[in-house]
Amino acid sequence: MNEKQFHTVPEGYFEGLQARLSAIPQQQETVTRWVRFRPYLAMAAAFAAMVVGGTALLRQTAQPASGLTYDDLMGYAQLIPTTNPYMIYDEEYMGEEEAYTEEDIINYLIETGVSLELVAYEANR
Amino acid sequence: MNDQQIIALWESGQRERAFNEIVRNYSERLYWHVRRFVCSHEDADDLVQEIFIKIWGALPTFRGDAQLFTWLYRIATNETLNFLRKQKVRASLRFQSLDDELERKIDEDPYFNGTEAQRLLSKAILKLPDKQRVVFSLRYYEDMKYEDIAEITGTSVGALKASYHIAYEKLKAEFQDLV
Repeated sequence: MNEKQFHTVPEGYFEGLQARLSAIPQQQETVTRWVRFRPYLAMAAAFAAMVVGGTALLRQTAQPASGLTYDDLMGYAQLIPTTNPYMIYDEEYMGEEEAYTEEDIINYLIETGVSLELVAYEANR
Repeated sequence: MNDQQIIALWESGQRERAFNEIVRNYSERLYWHVRRFVCSHEDADDLVQEIFIKIWGALPTFRGDAQLFTWLYRIATNETLNFLRKQKVRASLRFQSLDDELERKIDEDPYFNGTEAQRLLSKAILKLPDKQRVVFSLRYYEDMKYEDIAEITGTSVGALKASYHIAYEKLKAEFQDLV
């Protein structure tokens, strides 16, 4: 140590320093590679975000406004007559109630074992 | 391996080997150069790491018309002065003076093993303007030629001689006041 040097360093410091400094090229290569690929990674991330966002948006808009589930829709589909599917647009047909006669009602009551008093009451009503 | 051989190694494409030779030849010298300015082993250690990252990044732009060692010292000196400027701003944000902080570091430095006169000299050097400090440090501590210091600082030899003389006179006056 010369007379103008009046500081010391921890023991073995310069050996350790040289080892650390010698590792800089490899470290910087990793950093450089990352920097080089960063625009591509950003583009890939943006594309993935667009796909995820687009899918979510499509799912949102494709759902029926009534909030019917897939099962509900399939249930309704089974009700559509396959021989004449256009029948579902016929409001008169869809709204028509089956007409029962008084006699039909009395026969039904007798068959189901309803008391005679009640059948008579229904018949005279 | 001398500078010419290192440059030849770099130009032959053996870049890492060339860089390792620079580390081997200059890491210690540049550490001491930086340490005299920042007055702390820890700061010098961090700064030397930064300086060698800069050197590795700038090596492809090195042109053989300059000397390798003056080019390395120029990078180290510029980085050190930039570091001190940032420290000065940080200190002022804390309503403190960088010179006071550096003086405190000199007083509390566990790796100082000089005399009291040398401690006072270190403190007196802190009061010099940047340019005079650089010239004085390179000339006094490293016995560097004015021509080389001129390459490092980008100043004429005549101006450097004047700067050194002024710095020397200031330190002499400062030292007389202190002792």
